[in-house]
Amino acid sequence: MLFAGGWTLLVVLVAGVFLTVQFREAAIRRFDQSLAVLTDDLYAGSTIEDGQLRAPFLTDIRATRAYSGRYWVILDKTPDGAMRPVVRSRSLIDSDLMLSSAQIDRLEAAPGKTQYFDMRGPQDKPLRAAVIQAQLPGYANPVVFLAAEDRSPIDADADHFARITAFALLILGGGLILAVVVQVRFGLQPLFRLRREVASVRRGKAERLADDYPEELEPLSRELNALLAHNQEVVERQRTHVGNLAHALKTPLSVMLTEASQQPGQLAEVVERQAQTMREQVDHHLRRARAAARSQTSGERTPVEPILDELAVTLERIFQGKSDGRGVEIDWRCPEDLAFQGEKQDFMELAGNVMENAGKWCKGRIRAEAAPSGEARMLLTVDDDGPGLPPEERALALKRGQRLDENAPGTGLGLSIVDELARAYGGSVKLGESPLGGLRVTLDLPRAET
Amino acid sequence: MRILLVEDDPDLSRQLKLTLADAGYAVDHAPDGEEAQYLGENEPYDAVILDLGLPKVDGVSVLERWRRGNVATPVLILTARGAWSDKVAGFDAGADDYLAKPFHTEELLARLRALLRRSAGHAAPSLSCGALRLDPRAARASVNGEPLRLTSLEYRLLHYMMMHQGRVIGRTELVEHLYDQDFDRDSNTIEVFIGRLRKKLGADRIETVRGLGYRLTPLEGEATA
Repeated sequence: MLFAGGWTLLVVLVAGVFLTVQFREAAIRRFDQSLAVLTDDLYAGSTIEDGQLRAPFLTDIRATRAYSGRYWVILDKTPDGAMRPVVRSRSLIDSDLMLSSAQIDRLEAAPGKTQYFDMRGPQDKPLRAAVIQAQLPGYANPVVFLAAEDRSPIDADADHFARITAFALLILGGGLILAVVVQVRFGLQPLFRLRREVASVRRGKAERLADDYPEELEPLSRELNALLAHNQEVVERQRTHVGNLAHALKTPLSVMLTEASQQPGQLAEVVERQAQTMREQVDHHLRRARAAARSQTSGERTPVEPILDELAVTLERIFQGKSDGRGVEIDWRCPEDLAFQGEKQDFMELAGNVMENAGKWCKGRIRAEAAPSGEARMLLTVDDDGPGLPPEERALALKRGQRLDENAPGTGLGLSIVDELARAYGGSVKLGESPLGGLRVTLDLPRAET
Repeated sequence: MRILLVEDDPDLSRQLKLTLADAGYAVDHAPDGEEAQYLGENEPYDAVILDLGLPKVDGVSVLERWRRGNVATPVLILTARGAWSDKVAGFDAGADDYLAKPFHTEELLARLRALLRRSAGHAAPSLSCGALRLDPRAARASVNGEPLRLTSLEYRLLHYMMMHQGRVIGRTELVEHLYDQDFDRDSNTIEVFIGRLRKKLGADRIETVRGLGYRLTPLEGEATA
């Protein structure tokens, strides 16, 4: 913007100087032409009578009034180089118009040709003069005819023009700079918006760019969206591959476990133990792959309400045979606009495992509540009416979560996965006492801005 | 008791057939989705054990087709995919229980017994209100045959309103029937549940009677039951 402004100023300045110089030159040329006419009249009208030079009778009134500004003089150039005025206009009274030696030399160099000089006249006024040196027949010395006029009016004109030009160009320059500012401010607004949107995609506030960009930017926003989609697709494919591999191993494991359980003995025990280890390894690496894939995706925004609804319906079905068929009642609350900053699958794992844990231990009632808390955070609180955990065991239950290998699936609280996943999202799990009498699990998680 | 086992892995199928037969069940086996769908639609099974990763037609699609074709046989999904998103999808398709591989056979048998016990529950007449139907035996509700996914509290509220359809029911009365005990609930509890029901049933079925409560009515043009 600074460069554009400076450039505009420079161009306007050059144009101004050029215009002013052109105007001044044109004015002087016109001025010179009228002077040349007078010089020619003097030259053509002069006669030699009895070896004496006679000036023509000129009707120009201005040359008769004293110091009127228009003057003429006929000079005799003596052999010693001195200039002796022979006849002069009356307007000069008794002043002389003196030529400088350089001017005299120039006249000498081009006899018969009109030359134009700047000089000083009576009352020290700046004059413009048309001068011609010629040889008159019957006259020994060269004669110089000089007509001059006060040039201050054209100087004044030129100055006036320069002022007007400067003023006009100043307005033009100011206007151009303003246009540049407006262009940058408003014309580039969509670009600024694009930058903001890309940033919000990166922060996970949006999944893609809007498609209401002006024509010039639309291809760019389309390409960016395509890139985002491609990125997501690659990650998704990677995840699917890993998932397929892991899941493909599970059926053979089932077969081994079943076979082993049907043939008691030492071999069966070893197979069972090893199959269990393999299963843990598969689960562990499945989660690791998911976590790796997660770090590559740009943050996603996952609305919480529909997931809690789905999980509540699903879990009530899973636990419908519990407590002699009375099942489990899940009472959940969540503001409609609450969104988790992260992947849907991950939030399902987090909430699903915590709620399933509550379902395992409760007597029949689970209460889940999701709510925003503080700057870009949310809390998911799950209460049950089961036996709960004494404080010293709560710490242990969370500690166990730090080392996956020690924690056999299906035993304990099953909260290690939740703890691991919450940490991956920069969150935390807290265990406490529930007002319903059982355990309260509180997840602190990142919240996506609405 | 006749069971349909849908599983494509030959070893696992053989083992499960043996286990189930030992437990006293008659077992039919389908190794792919197409055959499973055909058998499920044409034979009167008491329960189905359904693998999800199947050749030809996948398990979730088979289940959806059965449910759309009014095959109400209880289904236990047996799958390697144990993520919650998979479980939710399975139950959405109409599953009654879900067991992730690898599993212990004792657990499978226990789940199967529970499933059969539940489905043998006594029949009760279904309720309807226009295109809305509620089956108290299976604790399921549907609109125009499309099953609704309701939590037990939502179901309980809808059940009560259907038993008293056409009548304006006050908030206090609804809260009392929603929760067995007297809990210190905030005053908008009922609004929250009515809002969720409206979202799932369609907004017009539940009418708000200002100052008095709510009323469940069939939509205009729908036949009253």
